[in-house]
Formats: sequence, structure tokens, C-alpha cells
Amino acid sequence: PPPLQTPYFWTSTKWPATELDYAIYLAKKNIRKQGDLIEHEKDNYNLLHKRINHTWDFVVMQAREQLRDAAPAGAGGAIDCQEQAYWLVNRPPVRMGWGSWVGGQWVRGWRVQPWAGGEDGGAGSEHGPGPVRRARGFPPAPGTVLYIKFNEQYVPHDPIMSGCLPSNPWITDDTTYWAMNAPTVPTPTKLRVERWGFNFSELLTDPLGRAQLLDFLKKEFSAENLSFWEACEELRYGEQSRITEIVDSIYQQFLAPGATRWVNIDSKTMERTLEGIKTPHRYVMDDAQMHIYMLMKKDSYPRFLKSELYRNLLAEAIIPPETKKR
Amino acid sequence: MVKEECKALLDALSKVTACYRHMVLTIGGTSDSQNLREELKKTRQKAQELAVANRNKLTAVLKDKTVSKEDKAEFERLWVIFSTCLEILEIDMRRALELGHEFPLNVPKKHLIQTGMSGGTSGVAARAMSVQNMKYEAEHNIDVVDLKDLENEINQVGEMMYEMEMKVNVPQWTVEAKQDPGAELKSTISVGASSIGMISVEENKSFCDISKVLAGIIFSAVLIIAIVLAVCVVKLS
Repeated sequence: PPPLQTPYFWTSTKWPATELDYAIYLAKKNIRKQGDLIEHEKDNYNLLHKRINHTWDFVVMQAREQLRDAAPAGAGGAIDCQEQAYWLVNRPPVRMGWGSWVGGQWVRGWRVQPWAGGEDGGAGSEHGPGPVRRARGFPPAPGTVLYIKFNEQYVPHDPIMSGCLPSNPWITDDTTYWAMNAPTVPTPTKLRVERWGFNFSELLTDPLGRAQLLDFLKKEFSAENLSFWEACEELRYGEQSRITEIVDSIYQQFLAPGATRWVNIDSKTMERTLEGIKTPHRYVMDDAQMHIYMLMKKDSYPRFLKSELYRNLLAEAIIPPETKKR
Repeated sequence: MVKEECKALLDALSKVTACYRHMVLTIGGTSDSQNLREELKKTRQKAQELAVANRNKLTAVLKDKTVSKEDKAEFERLWVIFSTCLEILEIDMRRALELGHEFPLNVPKKHLIQTGMSGGTSGVAARAMSVQNMKYEAEHNIDVVDLKDLENEINQVGEMMYEMEMKVNVPQWTVEAKQDPGAELKSTISVGASSIGMISVEENKSFCDISKVLAGIIFSAVLIIAIVLAVCVVKLS
């Protein structure tokens, strides 16, 4: 019968394959092959030398001792094979696409990347380790493109990544940064106003942004949309005891035929909502709210961004000067 | 010198750890036997003796305030090596315990795994114990009886490591490896008696010699200048 793996090398959650063990194995292999390691093993070797540098002398010591036991015994060959198989499973060479296993290495185009990562590839190499590059001819996975875009957009706005002006309050004990970015300030910062242009939810969640949007909508005579949306939010997140009351007031104000601030919802949704009002609960207005939200997002929001109001806001927004270090 | 003794002790511990690992590798396989379990027990006990000796020596040295800065750095390096060795030993002991539970030898229903490994580990055990031939004296059910002892010893090692970490304040990240990547290829390995400890001891000795020679030269230069000045004073007066 073909030989099986010795129990020591069985995969178990009780003893994961540690970096130290891998380092000792690589050192042993290095000695035995006189420096001729496979590419990914070489990369891992150098990486580990940096990472566990403080015990590297022990790694070399132990590797030499272990080789002493392995070499002369006839059973050494079987153990070495099994050890190699163990590490092939636990530290596989990361390969992309399919190739063929020739002479202990994957060939045909796909570069073997070290499992420890750290190489930049694909788009966005400025952002540290980029996405794993797929084989030539395949586009990168859709998630990665969006992820990179998101990061590119938001990195200048992140106080940790790009620093915060005037100064980091935790370091300089100067709270101007928080004061300037408070929910309601007379003049918002430039970064904040720019963020309103990223997507509709940024604008809506910022109280200052929402107020500006309301002003804009008033000029366009569609302010009731925003009010309706706000009322629905109040319903969704409000107190249970007030639900019937709120549903009633929403109906009177926005949905009843001939209401003062009648919102423009399509007939199907209106039918469903009116049905739902008969048994009011927290989420009766969801369909209608979503409809109005999408209306604002697709219609009013682009106009807002192109409007003079927004352009003035951008022009007047302040960039706080960096406080000089004392 | 204390440094050489520490190094020798550490080399011995490393050797025994490697031998122990080699033996644990074969548990549950075709070359498993009562003898193997006895070898494991003896090697393990030897490892523990060496560990305690190492710890005592190194803690004594690290507490000594009169040690010079480079010596202290060297001893800290040895300390980090020692604690890593203990870690590996503990992990292997735990594995041995698990495997010992999984593969009791005298139960007829449980079979050993056909691993294709033949040949015993008596040579390895002899090397670990530094004896010519291993003598086997244990009873027939040592594989089961020993497991309780093994558990206790694992706890002891765990406690020792915890104590070490609490009492001796050596930050691991400040220690830098003496060897560059690929250093193991440079020195020739002789499979056999001479241990690498000896080679590094010789290196150290040559360093000591160089610094001693330098000190001697400076001292003699100062002495000559003093003699010349004295002669001048005598001649002038």
C-alpha cells in the first residue's frame, strides 16, 4: 500500500504551521540545496529573515541540528518527502491562472507570487500592495476596481492617511479641527464641500449639506421631496408609540389628494402605500421613500452639483491653515 | 568564560530539541514502538534538565550589573535564542501528548499508520542523551503511563516560560541576528561530532585576541612615553 503522511504532519487546527517552523524548513532546504531554492521560497526566506530577525540565529542553529538527524538515516528520505509535502500544503506558491507543474514549479506565464504578499501589481500601485494581478487577458475582478476607486477618492479626505489641517487635536491639543468640522458651522471646510459631490448619501447625511440641499430645492419648488424623506426617516427610526401619529401626519401632509405638500409618486407605489397605511407600522413608507430618494438622487442631485449655489459654496469654503509647530 | 559555557549549554539544548522533534515525527507510524516512547521520555527529561540549567545560568548573568554593554547584548541574544528553543520544545511536547493519546500501542484495534518509514530512532536518541547505546528498561505500558507525566512536564515548561517572560526584561525586537541570509551555507557542516558551537567559540576567541593585542599595544606605547619623559627629567636635572 502507498505510504501515508506521518501523524506529525497531519493538518490540525491545534498546531498551525508557524513562521518559525517554516523558517527552519527553508534554512534546511537552503543548506541541502546549496542556495538553490525555488523563487517563491527565496522570497519567503528573505521576508522571514526580516520578520523574525531576532531569532534568526536560532533558526540556523536548529536547521543544522535537524539536518544532522535526517541525513544519515535511511528513513530520512521518507521524512524529507513528507515534510516537503506538508509545506507545499501550508505555504503554497500563490499562482494566478492555470499553468503546468514542471520540475517543481508552475510554468507558462503566471508569475509565482510569495504567499506573504507585498508585491505591487495591477492598478493602483501607489496604494501599497495592489490587487493580485490576474493572468494577461483577464480583467481584474469588478470588486477590486471599485475598491481602488473608492480609496483613491477618499484618501485625501482621511485624517489619518492625509493628515488633518489645521492640526491633529490629539497631538497638539488644539481643538480647532473639531470646531471647524462640527455638524453646524457658518462656513464649511473645502474638503467637506467636495465630499458632497462624491455621492448623494454624503450630501444627505451631512446636516449642513442637507440644509443647503433644502435651500436649493426650495428654489426649484421640489422641497417637499426632501421633507417627505425626512418624515419617513423619522417614522423608521422613531418611537413605537408615535408610529400611528406620524403615519397619519405624513398622509395628511404629503399623500392625501389635495395635500399642501403633495409628493409625486407613481400610481402603483401610491396604491401600495395607501393600502399599507390602513395597518400602519414602521416600514409602510419604505417603497414611497425609496422612490423619492431615487428621484432626488437622479434628478435634483446632479442639478445641485451644477448649480451656482454649490459653486459658490465651493468658492467660499475655507482651507484651514496649518498651525505652525511650536 | 561564562559566554562559552552559556553557548555550549544552548547548543546542547538545541541538539536535544532537534532530536526530540525527530522522534516525535515518528509517533504513530510504522517505526513506533515501546522503545520509541521510552526514548521520548528520556530525551524530554534531558531537555528539561538542560532548559533549567540554561535558564539559571542566563538569568544569573543578565542580573549581573557588572557585565559590559556588548556582553549584555550578546547574552540578551542568547536569551532570545533560548526562549525560542523552549517554545519549539513546548510545541513538540504538546504534539507528542496529542499523538500519544491518539496512538496507544497496546490496544489491538488501533493500528499504526503505514508511513513507509522504517528503522528505529535509537541512533538519534543516543545522540540526544550523549551515550553510546541506549538502554531500555521501561515497562510494557509506558505509552499510556507516561502521558500523565508528559502533561505535567508540559505545564512545568509553560510555567517556566511564563516566569521567564515576567521576570527577565529582554525586549525581543532589539536583538539583531548575527547571521545574514544564506550564512548557513558558508560554514562547512561536518555530520558527526563537532558541534557548531565550537566554531563560533573560536571566532569569538579571535575577536578577544584582537582587542587584547590592541590594548597591549596602547599600554606599551604609554609606558614607553612615560619612560622617555622620566629619562628627560633625570637628564635635565
